[in-house]
Amino acid sequence: MSADLEFENLVRLYYRDLYRFGLSLTGSEADAADLTQETFYIWANKGHQLQKAASVKSWLFTTLHREFLKTCRRRNRFSDESIDESTGDLPNIPANCAERADSRTLLRILGEIGEDFRAPLVLYYMEDLSYKEIADVLALPLGTVQSRIARAKIQLLRRLSETNLPLEQAK
Amino acid sequence: MNTREAKEILLLYRGTIDDSDPQFRAALDYAKTDPELGQWLREQTKCYDTVRSKLRAIEPPLGLSEKIVRRRPIPFPRDWSRIGQLAAAILISASVTALLMKWSERPHRSVAGAQEILVTGEVLDMTCYIAYHLSGPDHAECARVCIRNGGPVGIKAQDGKVYLLTAQPGESVNAQLADYAAKTVTIRGKETARDGFAQLQVEEIRKS
Repeated sequence: MSADLEFENLVRLYYRDLYRFGLSLTGSEADAADLTQETFYIWANKGHQLQKAASVKSWLFTTLHREFLKTCRRRNRFSDESIDESTGDLPNIPANCAERADSRTLLRILGEIGEDFRAPLVLYYMEDLSYKEIADVLALPLGTVQSRIARAKIQLLRRLSETNLPLEQAK
Repeated sequence: MNTREAKEILLLYRGTIDDSDPQFRAALDYAKTDPELGQWLREQTKCYDTVRSKLRAIEPPLGLSEKIVRRRPIPFPRDWSRIGQLAAAILISASVTALLMKWSERPHRSVAGAQEILVTGEVLDMTCYIAYHLSGPDHAECARVCIRNGGPVGIKAQDGKVYLLTAQPGESVNAQLADYAAKTVTIRGKETARDGFAQLQVEEIRKS
């Protein structure tokens, strides 16, 4: 397969997932598109260094996350709200709390969660990555990733249940 | 394991994605024995699916993939062995050229007492010949370009001896010899040597 075709196939396969990840991290469509584009261009220059073809998806997510962190350091535009260390009691949150939220509301609430917690939570929800793969993407220990996901998930569900959500049009 | 411990573990359970993960097995088994926990797990899994499907419903802007493909950078091929060869060729070429310039600046006495000889042999692009042992018809086009562009030029006599071909000080023989690259000619000139390196100052070029 030619390099051009390989690149094109890779873009078609992963650009949606990367864009969604970027959008969840940045909250901005333009920034998400830029991050997605930059990730693939880094791949075009350095992807040949990757030994295992199976790791392509993790590599792309790792790269996008790194680029996002660089942008964050430059602009410091996102609130980095931390989550209390103790999660307290496990949530007794209505299971249907998410049904009334649309994608935009979900993104807004995700954006209110500190970046350290947001990235693992987004990967937890959106991508079919194992916990080990999520830990590799974020360069964090497995235990830290799981702990952050658990705390961020409780935070997300609490906020969802607290938000006065309109019923979706379709319902 | 109690219900709270099982809940803490199952809070991260995502359904089929995590089925092969051993950390969830014991908690899932426990949930089968506790109907209330089982119900909580079903609700949590449903909630997970709902959030996931809504987030995954987000579509990128139209034309994003085409834009990425269209603007793809063309990576510079970093073939380090080729770069090394190129660097070596430049270094050799620069050294030989510097040597030539130094010779050309020398007074005529360097060839004043030199013996005039006739040498018949192949015209060489010296850089490629010394660096990579390249000569002969297969290398003729490269040699022609290198010589025309000012690379050092030489001649390999039929006895195997190689001479660096030079002109009178301030002049060059490259233009006259470029079209004879890799061909056999006869050169009449004055032979000198320096540090074991043979030089032939060209007086006349004869087609063979």
